[in-house]
Amino acid sequence: MDTLKVRDAKDVEEVVRAAIANDQPLEIVGHGSKRLIGQPMATNAVLDLSALNAVYSYEPNELIITVEAGAPLADVKSLIDAKSQQFAFDPMDTAPLLGTRGGGTIGGMIGAGLAGSRRVKAGGARDHLLGAHAVSGFGDSFKTGGKVVKNVTGYDLCKLLTGSWGTLAVITEVTLKVMPRPESERTLVLRGLDDVTANRVMTAALGSPFDVSSAAHLPSSVFRPAGGALAALASQGQSVTLLRLEGIEASAASRAASLTKLVAGFGAAELIEDAVSTEIWNAIRDVLPFAADGALGAWPVWRIVCPPASGGALGQTLARETGGDVIYDWGGGLIWAALPPKPDAQAATVRSRVEAAGGHATLIRAAEEVRRHLDVFQPQASGLAALAERVRQSFDPKNILNRGRMARGPAT
Amino acid sequence: MSIMMPAADEAVLARRDAIVAALRAIVPGEGVIDTPAEMIPYESDGLTAYRQPPMVVVLPDTTDQVSQVLKYCHEQGIKVVPRGSGTSLSGGALPLKDAVLLGLGKFKRIREIDFDNRVVVTEPGVTNLAISQAVAHAGFYYAPDPSSQIACSIGGNVAENSGGVHCLKYGMTTNNVLGCEIVLISGEILRIGGKSAENSGYDLMGVITGSEGLLGVITEITVRILQKPETARALMVGFAQVEAAGECVARIIGAGIIPGGMEMMDKPAIHAAEAFVQAGYPLDVEALLIIELDGPGVEVDELIGRVEAIAKACGSVTLQISTNETERNLFWAGRKAAFPAVGRISPDYLCMDGTIPRGALPKALTRIRELSEKYDLGVANVFHAGDGNLHPLILYDANKPGEMERAEAFGADILRCCVELGGVLTGEHGVGIEKRDLMPEMFSEIDLNQQQRLKCAFDAQGLLNPGKVFPVLHRCAELGRMHVHGGKLAFPDIPRF
Repeated sequence: MDTLKVRDAKDVEEVVRAAIANDQPLEIVGHGSKRLIGQPMATNAVLDLSALNAVYSYEPNELIITVEAGAPLADVKSLIDAKSQQFAFDPMDTAPLLGTRGGGTIGGMIGAGLAGSRRVKAGGARDHLLGAHAVSGFGDSFKTGGKVVKNVTGYDLCKLLTGSWGTLAVITEVTLKVMPRPESERTLVLRGLDDVTANRVMTAALGSPFDVSSAAHLPSSVFRPAGGALAALASQGQSVTLLRLEGIEASAASRAASLTKLVAGFGAAELIEDAVSTEIWNAIRDVLPFAADGALGAWPVWRIVCPPASGGALGQTLARETGGDVIYDWGGGLIWAALPPKPDAQAATVRSRVEAAGGHATLIRAAEEVRRHLDVFQPQASGLAALAERVRQSFDPKNILNRGRMARGPAT
Repeated sequence: MSIMMPAADEAVLARRDAIVAALRAIVPGEGVIDTPAEMIPYESDGLTAYRQPPMVVVLPDTTDQVSQVLKYCHEQGIKVVPRGSGTSLSGGALPLKDAVLLGLGKFKRIREIDFDNRVVVTEPGVTNLAISQAVAHAGFYYAPDPSSQIACSIGGNVAENSGGVHCLKYGMTTNNVLGCEIVLISGEILRIGGKSAENSGYDLMGVITGSEGLLGVITEITVRILQKPETARALMVGFAQVEAAGECVARIIGAGIIPGGMEMMDKPAIHAAEAFVQAGYPLDVEALLIIELDGPGVEVDELIGRVEAIAKACGSVTLQISTNETERNLFWAGRKAAFPAVGRISPDYLCMDGTIPRGALPKALTRIRELSEKYDLGVANVFHAGDGNLHPLILYDANKPGEMERAEAFGADILRCCVELGGVLTGEHGVGIEKRDLMPEMFSEIDLNQQQRLKCAFDAQGLLNPGKVFPVLHRCAELGRMHVHGGKLAFPDIPRF
């Protein structure tokens, strides 16, 4: 298979135009860290963006950074970290979960749009992409948005590009909003709650005025010899519920005290601070209990997004009916479910339960053979699916870019 | 009217009686308005310099009626202009002579308040403020707060992606809506998103928000609600130079502090506001900053101290800190009344809405001052300084021949200057008709064509709100044509592996 390592946006235009002329669908990759996500694609050439890795400008006082799509996420994160700033949506690192190498690129971060634990407070990747340059399936380079936070000039195509898994356009450059990194953090830990009760605690915390920035629940079953940061949390086979507070020292401490009182009826909260807390949250964000090299590494993993207050009941039901393990983030609004392997990854059960709860499920990790024969992304109602397909065609009528990655059907 | 709107379709106008009758069959009773006198209130929105009576006004009160009206218009090739409360400042709801004006004013019910999921499900005609009021008893509020919040509808907010004073910290409408029920021009009713943090598939909610009524008609919206911050305190800081105020804004952000709101006024705006509301503003300063910190008491107290130190280091000449709600509200009173205050000192004014990088504030102000001299028209500046959103108010007298045209040219030059400085044409008011013809200043033809292709995916005949946003309308067939670039492998020199 051809790999075309482009050097600039002009190269991308040329490659896409030639691909159109030759009906040669392209797989768009940066580091390839998320190649295992999605329907297996009907592509036969690779467009490699990893050489488009320049940082064009970083202006801490403007809270923006403009970089090329192939810039390594890890490098960009250290760059802004040096100025005490961060991507507030807390992009996850999928490498441990998928068992891939390479930390991924900025383009992949936007194309996948996988936000971490802070999403409940800070929003998702879509809320932090201010502007983009991209090459459409027409082979034309276009821009959308701008380099300022407040902008309503024209349609907000940034929203469509985020989470479109490279099926609409090849992003070549983005301007992202960065935010100050909190000076300190506190995490309240409650032990021994069942999933539904934990969901209630998280709901109360997120509905409080104490500005909770993350809320997660780890049932006891996930503490199989889990290494690293989470091992330190495990105690006497009990579940763990975590509530994070961030900000200036005095504020985090005072809110921790108030929140401890608020949840006192559910148990006495332990307190974890700063670096230890951060490490735990990173482990949850990256779903380390289900890591590819861990005990459940061979199990398929679903990413379920649902109305947060119904997460506990949904996850509990799924775990019981499938014999799987679940982890709750976003106050119950995000469930990671690792299920014992079956040919259909237990899709029928997952999808019917999730739909009934008003959510949607993505099969984020499964063998190619499994992904080939079921819908990786949640199938949509027919009218909505038809509109989405018209939207896709408005960017890429020849279906040249990541053909068939998001929807099974005639296109594959 | 100095802006060209799409030519009226005489064939449609000739069928007006039949169209009115067909609409009456769908929306019975008083829901169809067709007399010139009764249609007067719908001739214009917040951009009052432009007026046009619609062909007919229809005010449905169910989603099914909206669907039937749109289906009928789609089949008959009739244009439709959607309208919420009519507070748009960019002419987004300006009627067309040959179009049905579709008002959502009867969609006034909040359908569900769900505190556990922290959302409100509402009809589009509910006002922005009414949502906050409906959840206030439990300590919640809806964060985006456009200054028209007492009147503007949430449906209009979604159409325009409205902002407000607090969007620096809490985001714009797009960051606070989760889902909607939308009716396409075909009459098809779709549900997008809901109470979950994210939708499945493409983020259609994201692109519908801010689409200015060109993609569909929203009949239900799910918005996120937040807990009210425990406290809020404000600083009012005067500077002898605008540059120093700009530097103060940059240093506050640079210090990692994101205030709930950070507003700037220049001398003419300060004077107009003080004369109007007597807020105690200092009159001998060139720039005034109002900086509000919100959150837990201990946090606010500490940050007030840090901001005070920064302001002093930047050479502030006056500095007051609110010690109670009365004082805080007084600080804001002048800023909130800035527009009507300017209305008192000038027969007419144009409110502009560009955004620039924060660091370019002093440059932009200098440029606006030069333009003010060139056009011989006064200007008062109020800014959402925290996010670089400028609202220059250009003072003119419509009764003096040529002044309105001069004011519009002045405004267009300000927006061009915003783009030159790395900013954008509109921060929160929308493109509408007001900035439509300036779009090429910011976007190439290719950029605009891609946006219009998206429009084609929703509305291939271009019947929904035509004449807004895009300076040149293309047929969808033309936009969808693939230009054959020919050649086999056209990239011989690209490294291959």
